[in-house]
Amino acid sequence: MWCLGVALAIQVFVAFETPIGGSFDDAVTLAMNGVQDVTPVKATLLSADSSSAHFTDLYGQQGIVHETNKSNGKYQSYKSGDILVMSVAYNRNEKSFDLVEIIRVNPIMSFPMIQGLGELGRNMLFHVPMSMVAFIAFFLGTIYSILYLVKKDFDFDRRARAASAGGFLFTALATATGSIWARFSWGTFWNWDPRETSIFILLLIYGAYFMLRSLLEESEDKKARIAAVYNIIAFVSVPFLMFVVPRITQSLHPGGGGTEAPIINLSGQTHTDRTLLNMHWISVVLFLFVFLWIKDIYTRILRIQDKRAEEI
Amino acid sequence: MSSWQAVLRKDLRIEFRTRYGVSAVIMFLLITVAVILYSTPGEQLQPSIISALLWITLFFGAMTGLARSFVSEEERGTSLMLRLYASGESVFIGKLVYNLGLMIALAISALLFFQFFFTRDFHIRDWPIFSLQLFLGAVGIAAVSTILSALISRASQKGALLPIVALPILMPLVIATTDAMRITLEVPSAWVGARGDILILISFDIAMVLVSYVLFDVIWKD
Repeated sequence: MWCLGVALAIQVFVAFETPIGGSFDDAVTLAMNGVQDVTPVKATLLSADSSSAHFTDLYGQQGIVHETNKSNGKYQSYKSGDILVMSVAYNRNEKSFDLVEIIRVNPIMSFPMIQGLGELGRNMLFHVPMSMVAFIAFFLGTIYSILYLVKKDFDFDRRARAASAGGFLFTALATATGSIWARFSWGTFWNWDPRETSIFILLLIYGAYFMLRSLLEESEDKKARIAAVYNIIAFVSVPFLMFVVPRITQSLHPGGGGTEAPIINLSGQTHTDRTLLNMHWISVVLFLFVFLWIKDIYTRILRIQDKRAEEI
Repeated sequence: MSSWQAVLRKDLRIEFRTRYGVSAVIMFLLITVAVILYSTPGEQLQPSIISALLWITLFFGAMTGLARSFVSEEERGTSLMLRLYASGESVFIGKLVYNLGLMIALAISALLFFQFFFTRDFHIRDWPIFSLQLFLGAVGIAAVSTILSALISRASQKGALLPIVALPILMPLVIATTDAMRITLEVPSAWVGARGDILILISFDIAMVLVSYVLFDVIWKD
């Protein structure tokens, strides 16, 4: 288990520590649109003299960056071929850039600048994997419910309960991270955007699942059967809520109204930077293992509780 | 006469004797429409608002009427008898058809009420698509409330529980029908805008009817 903890800690560290650097084009667009004056840019040093340097960014676009009194870095100490992540300000008059700060030199990896997100783009490594794991958890819970109905083994009911509880937890986590993201991207914690509405209904569905179970006045066996049936029926509407409705209605989220989204979209293609996408999938796997661990612990707790109840 | 028709006839006969379902639903509709009219005097109701109001009315009206189908069997102590005489699937189909009939009657009377009371704001511009989404919505609500009513009839707080467990599950359907109805109130040829909603409704209905048909036996037989 400690391996998972270490891996997760490294992942969180990398998610926050990896510098974000865009292209010179990003810097120009964001400055001209008045979004932000200072933009992080990742570029390779071609040549440097006493006060300015010549760069080429990842897309081959060239740019001249001047040192200013305010900037804290000196180009003299770097040799050509070094990759610099630095924040620059666009100078409209001279069509060049002013150096603000050198963030990192020769980083192992960097995330691309997503226009409109900037530093907030890091949340893609938490929010999106969490909602994916939540879907997998509900799917697993439904599989266990079906297995319970087929095999009549009471242990599958405990596993279904544990998987649904884990899914509920990850839905709540995805809602919380998404809500924080929404606060800084769209201004408020909650907007009743289609995807927010559907995740709220998802919480209601599984809340009703646990409530239904506690309100049944039947033998454990019959309770388990009724809960399993409800779980399977509930899962029929989960794909509609998570995948279909948010995609065809207008939404603040990427992918709404049939627009292109970075991770999943109607055309089934991703336009996200490889590094960020790989990190995202590593996150999905790690959170999936966290979920399986939680599910396992909860299953064991339920087993002990049932054993206790039998003894009494 | 096949046995599901017998179950349907039994339910219809009880309904004609007591008129419980129909009168409860009509009362519910009248009260809801009166509250809406009272709270919006002289207001111009947008299509989005009026379609949401109509579907909220239909959903909770269905919950008052359709929740009875298995709860009443349990209360009158007749469910054991039904279990002896008819197979699970014929009980399910009979109840489903009865609930669908009740749901369609509810939808038509709600439509008449809305047409009568909201003459100015409630203009249906595309009748075929409007009827289609109303019918598909009725099928979905009937299927879900039939199977959930059978589930709930075993719980202790029967009456209050059905809307709580049914509404979240029906939410994709309610979102899609509300959107489709709004479009039929706004534009004369609604198919272009409402195609996605109609497809969602069709797939949701098929999935729900099949899943509840398969699962009904599990809850029904002891």
